[in-house]
Amino acid sequence: MAEAMNHEGEHHSNTVHLLRREITVEGGVYTVVFGGLAVLTVIEVLSAEFLKGAIHDAPDAAAALQAIKAILLLGIAIIKSSLVIWFYMHLKSENKLIAVVILLPLLIAGLSIMYLLAIPPSGYGL
Amino acid sequence: MAELTANQIPAAAHDDHGHMSEGEHNNNMKLGVWLYLASEIVIFSIMIVGYIIFRINNEEIVAQAHEQLGVALVTANTFVLLASSFFMVMGLRAMQGGNRAGMLRWIGLTALGGIVFLGGQYIEYSELAHLGIVLGFDTASEWSTFGMRFYAPTFFHGAHVFVGVLWALEVMRRGAKGRYDKNPIGIEMFGLYWHFVDVVWIMLFTLIYLV
Repeated sequence: MAEAMNHEGEHHSNTVHLLRREITVEGGVYTVVFGGLAVLTVIEVLSAEFLKGAIHDAPDAAAALQAIKAILLLGIAIIKSSLVIWFYMHLKSENKLIAVVILLPLLIAGLSIMYLLAIPPSGYGL
Repeated sequence: MAELTANQIPAAAHDDHGHMSEGEHNNNMKLGVWLYLASEIVIFSIMIVGYIIFRINNEEIVAQAHEQLGVALVTANTFVLLASSFFMVMGLRAMQGGNRAGMLRWIGLTALGGIVFLGGQYIEYSELAHLGIVLGFDTASEWSTFGMRFYAPTFFHGAHVFVGVLWALEVMRRGAKGRYDKNPIGIEMFGLYWHFVDVVWIMLFTLIYLV
């Protein structure tokens, strides 16, 4: 999303390269990221409300719309989370070991969720 | 005040007495926090998956709950928490630039954001209690099972915000005494925790209130 001027100056520079434009703003990349988070949150809430209305108005397409809603909103949430982790938690400039430390439990949690979701509500009836 | 951040300090070898360099010490401290956060991911994941499974199997109850919950208050609360994360990283930036007063101001705003968030959560819980959505075990109530799935992750998250506010106040107390003037690693560790709490809320907000 936002690219800092260079690695060393990233934390202190007020100048950011965004979409091939040079922007100077107090707080630099941190302010740009906050703006991105705010805009994404507004888009997220408006999309959720719009799709909720669409689901209500078109019950026949409710399942498909609900799936679109879930994928869209989760996608935005993942982008927002990644922005915080990448820029605010400085994973961008951290040792790669840190990325492994945080990705491994995410992978295990993801696999566990897949497994739990695959269990039918009534269990396997063993 | 050095302009380099802790992670940019070259990891020097131990000195002749086997003591770690400051850069190596900072990296170890941060790795410890990341490992702690990794364990938190697993705990929150269990609560989130519990909610997702309930949501899939009880679509009508969740749809009714969404009508009751609304999104205005929780959206405002989300903006407060996002802003507090911004304040936090600006506080670290100020200290890395040698601006102690600026750091205290930004971290103070971070703590204030956490307090406002908790206030909003209290108002939300009060409204839900009036609507009968409580953390109960009354099997006759359709809200009983929803309440458990809803309050477990949101309250657990709120508890993390509360701890974060206390931590912020402690960072301010130490910072005011000049503890971080030479090495701001203590602020960076708190920042990792606070941003993690923000990330968890981003996911909870989407999964519980919007999807």
